Amino acid sequence: MAILNKKSKITDEIPSSSMADIAFLLLVFFLVTTVFPKDRGLRIVLPEQAEEVEISQRNILHINIMPDGLVRIRRGDSQNEQTVSPRDVEGIWRIEVAQNPNLIAGVKTHPDAEHRLMIQVLDGLQVAGAERISLQLLEG
Amino acid sequence: MSISNSGFQRKSKASDQIPSSSMADIAFLLLIFFMITTVFREEQERPIEWPEAQATQQIDEKRQNVLYVWVERTGQVWMNDQQIPMEMVSNLVAPAWIESGRRLVISLRADARAPYRYIDAVQNEIRDGGAVYVVFATDLERRMTRERR
Repeated sequence: MAILNKKSKITDEIPSSSMADIAFLLLVFFLVTTVFPKDRGLRIVLPEQAEEVEISQRNILHINIMPDGLVRIRRGDSQNEQTVSPRDVEGIWRIEVAQNPNLIAGVKTHPDAEHRLMIQVLDGLQVAGAERISLQLLEG
Repeated sequence: MSISNSGFQRKSKASDQIPSSSMADIAFLLLIFFMITTVFREEQERPIEWPEAQATQQIDEKRQNVLYVWVERTGQVWMNDQQIPMEMVSNLVAPAWIESGRRLVISLRADARAPYRYIDAVQNEIRDGGAVYVVFATDLERRMTRERR
């Protein structure tokens, strides 16, 4: 009995010196795994007030969004209109911008068209890498 | 020199180092202090249907520089937990734009089925208020849901 006691004298308690380390480890773990809900969406920069830029019709791709969910696309200098679905805008933009790198997307949305249609078109344009986008209300 | 030095060392042997055993306690104290003093700005969310987009990206702007504008399906505009008339949006945007040092980002949280006339009106109001950075708040669209529809 006495011999046994002598042997286990060293490992009498749980070592408390590493408790702080364990606490920090847990802390860092939860810090890393916690995700705050961040704001996200499609970025655009509005033109400054009273900023009007004249652009040659040749460099504009008119994209008119109608309330029925269809998109009418017309190249600035031509009269031909092409009616497509919002999903096709991405592909069309890629083709058009390859021919004319200075192209500007003139997105005009009908007042009665749903917001998500405009978002779909804007999404397609941004996926295709378009940077010069103008958002307007379709009048007339 | 060596004699006096050795004399000093012998005297101050006990208080040689800064005690490091309480460092963790100090760190925790600071941690708790900052946890308590940090206030997250919370705003009630309006019930809207989020539009979806693949190109959805995170906004890397400080939370205090982000202003939320909610547009409901009926065209009601909500800011700072209260409904406001459309013409008032610019009056609220302008001071926030100045206060943020011309960095204000407007998160436009519009219902997916809101008619675009309201979105356009809000954009004009934001422009009138002087702000230029707008984010159309969207949910990330996944390829699978897109193909299923």
